[in-house]
Amino acid sequence: MDVPGLRWVPNGQSVLSGELLARAEWLDGAFLAMASAWGAEDHRFPSILAAAVLERIDWFRSFPQLATFPACLDAGGANLARFIEGQPVTADGIVHPTDLAPIGDVLTPAACYHVYDHLGDRTFDRPRYLTTRNTCFRREEHYQPLERQWSFSMREIVCIGTAEEARSFVEAATAEVDRFVAGIGLPVRWEHATDPFFRPSKNPQYLMQQVDPTKHELVFQDRLAIASTNLHHDHFGRAFGITRDGEPARTACIAFGIERWLSAFVHQFGPEAASWPS
Amino acid sequence: MTEAEAREALRAWIREHNPDVPAGEPADGTRLIERRYLTSLQVADLLLYIEELRQAPVDPTRLKPGVFASIDDIYGAFF
Repeated sequence: MDVPGLRWVPNGQSVLSGELLARAEWLDGAFLAMASAWGAEDHRFPSILAAAVLERIDWFRSFPQLATFPACLDAGGANLARFIEGQPVTADGIVHPTDLAPIGDVLTPAACYHVYDHLGDRTFDRPRYLTTRNTCFRREEHYQPLERQWSFSMREIVCIGTAEEARSFVEAATAEVDRFVAGIGLPVRWEHATDPFFRPSKNPQYLMQQVDPTKHELVFQDRLAIASTNLHHDHFGRAFGITRDGEPARTACIAFGIERWLSAFVHQFGPEAASWPS
Repeated sequence: MTEAEAREALRAWIREHNPDVPAGEPADGTRLIERRYLTSLQVADLLLYIEELRQAPVDPTRLKPGVFASIDDIYGAFF
């Protein structure tokens, strides 16, 4: 489908402009307005995250297939000279690096990880709500414009509190999103879901997600997840030393994939912005 | 194994893996995962123990949501 304002970059990324970009910002504004219901303070984190942060939750063993690492050349003059004296990039677009500097970072795979690192080793005596939007990176076997991209925009609202506060947040967020999609007329439903674990049958976290339905996805036309709610229990509270009333904090989040919402608009209302609800 | 013996064996397993569980806990209806008496690191071990108790294998790919929520739910799903 030809969508005005969309240019697809074959390495799994899209360029947005015009009305399509305006709609992306409109959607993010709507999600930000939802966040304000909890007084969630907006945060702008970088897109590069220390790998050590994700190692605290054993992320790399669960999702190695999704990781994208920022790699840099070793800064030694002789190494850089060897790089430029060779052919840095060949005709088929492949980089031929010389020695690489040690890799200590990863490109953000989900916006909310920064939040737990940011609040690490802190104690709270009341619930805390934050929101953030980031460009996220997930390596996939294939890509699809607006629906499955190497880099994409994710808005999240995060709750840090007690078990009851986290559960209430998810219930309220679900109801708020239901009102929003009913208002614009998108055919969606919530489904129990699991994360895309590597070798799921060997991963205890996958087993746990199967038996403890803590993740639910908002699915458009029975095929495309455009948002998800996630109850993490004390997974992040323990890993990052965040406590609430002397116990590991419970956390929950709701996440919105901005480009996927655009795809839902295009498929439901057509490619022309004039036909989209506002 | 009687129903009472199975429930007591499950209760003892939870206590053994959670030394800080208060006296009298977990009751049959206690929410094991919400109370963090059962974590993702323990659930595979509990599954093996359930297989041992009931003397029959469990297919982990066919587990339904909620089957480990409480001792009541575990007993209802596997025994």
